[in-house]
Amino acid sequence: MTIPRLQQLLAAAAVWVFAQASYAQTESPPTPPTTEAALPAPATVPPPTRPLPVERNWRFGIGLGYGMRTNPLVLSDDIPVIVDLDIAWFGKRWFFDNFDLGFQLADNRLFTANAVARVNSDRVFFGKTNIRYVNFTIAAGGDKLPIGGVPPPSDGPDNGPSFGGDEEEPQELKIPDRDYAIELGLEMLFGGEWGQATLRGFHDVSQTHEGFEISADYSYRWTRGRFSVSPTIGLAYKSDDLSNYYWGVHPKEAGLTLAPYEAEGGIDWEAGIRTSYYLTKSVRLAISADYERLHDSVATSPIVAEDHVIGYFAGVAWQF
Amino acid sequence: MRASLTLLAVTWLAARTAAAAEPPVRLVVKPLLCVIDKAEDSCNVTFDIRWKSVLPGEYCLNDEAVPAPLRCWPRALSGELQHRREVSEDFIFWLAPPAGIERAAEVKVEVLRVGSDDRRRERRTRHVWDVL
Repeated sequence: MTIPRLQQLLAAAAVWVFAQASYAQTESPPTPPTTEAALPAPATVPPPTRPLPVERNWRFGIGLGYGMRTNPLVLSDDIPVIVDLDIAWFGKRWFFDNFDLGFQLADNRLFTANAVARVNSDRVFFGKTNIRYVNFTIAAGGDKLPIGGVPPPSDGPDNGPSFGGDEEEPQELKIPDRDYAIELGLEMLFGGEWGQATLRGFHDVSQTHEGFEISADYSYRWTRGRFSVSPTIGLAYKSDDLSNYYWGVHPKEAGLTLAPYEAEGGIDWEAGIRTSYYLTKSVRLAISADYERLHDSVATSPIVAEDHVIGYFAGVAWQF
Repeated sequence: MRASLTLLAVTWLAARTAAAAEPPVRLVVKPLLCVIDKAEDSCNVTFDIRWKSVLPGEYCLNDEAVPAPLRCWPRALSGELQHRREVSEDFIFWLAPPAGIERAAEVKVEVLRVGSDDRRRERRTRHVWDVL
């Protein structure tokens, strides 16, 4: 184990111990039972006020409809969303939320802090890529021009474009493979009448990209009658290592068809909206859309065709 | 002759089936769902309540939260009422004869609470399929 990694673990342990103490202090004391007989009788009959029903530990939901998430990679297919499963379990401290595994470190009036392990979301785009075979023509001066690359400087007297020439064997143009990364981090959840906000910091613990991501988002939900709408905005800083692992072209992967490229860290931003129209207590019509802008260094990578990701979905959702 | 008898029997059976399918008293309430955000305690709803009966009768409309009937109709085939009420949990409207125990018809109004006081249940994941 390296010294920096040991330091990270010690820091995480310190945060955990601090959070344990904070959690113990912020838990509300048990409230004494109310004596209804002591209350004065109201003039009119208000709705009976009983304690809110205890929420179930499990949450199962399914959305059926049609949606898509665009794939920013070259030679790739968009990702269809026909079925959206929502599976979550919330214990007193532990929780599982759609493949995020978390442990509640602190919960008080101001915030909830969780330690969370998750799978990086950038990898999903690399599962929908294709291969293309490209023919090359040797340009004047013997240069072969890879896509997305800048022609190397030529000292020869003739720098003009060339047409025709010796044809090479077709070369494979393939998006490099990328692995899923397991990331561990802290998240702070805030909420109140003003809306919900989240701060998150995650670091790779699977030695896949060895980078980190820090993100913040804010959302607000309006509910009027059976209609609910919830716009969201968010920012995410992705480190050099994370950005370059997923979106760069590494020296071993570079060739005639892909120029080497080193992606740097930067800030992505996103905006989205989710709407629901509740038909019954458990069935609703759902429409959602979001736009995510990739940061410049990722957007200019030779394996990236679009500088954004658009997602949308419309369908019926059941909550069991 | 045989064809006429068959047609008569089929018509009689169809009429019996239709009569059996239609309840003697039909109660319709709108809306049936109240959606409350977690920041609110209740919603104020004006209920549109209508009932119809096959036979004239004396019926009273009851609300689960109120001990006395909201309104009674003496020997009527139908009735309607606009009733404003604060709703914070599921409850039942029902029609019954005055001083009667058996309910002629009932309708449940449901309350859905959107959101949770447990902030973990409100978190959004960044998974590609997370669209709901």
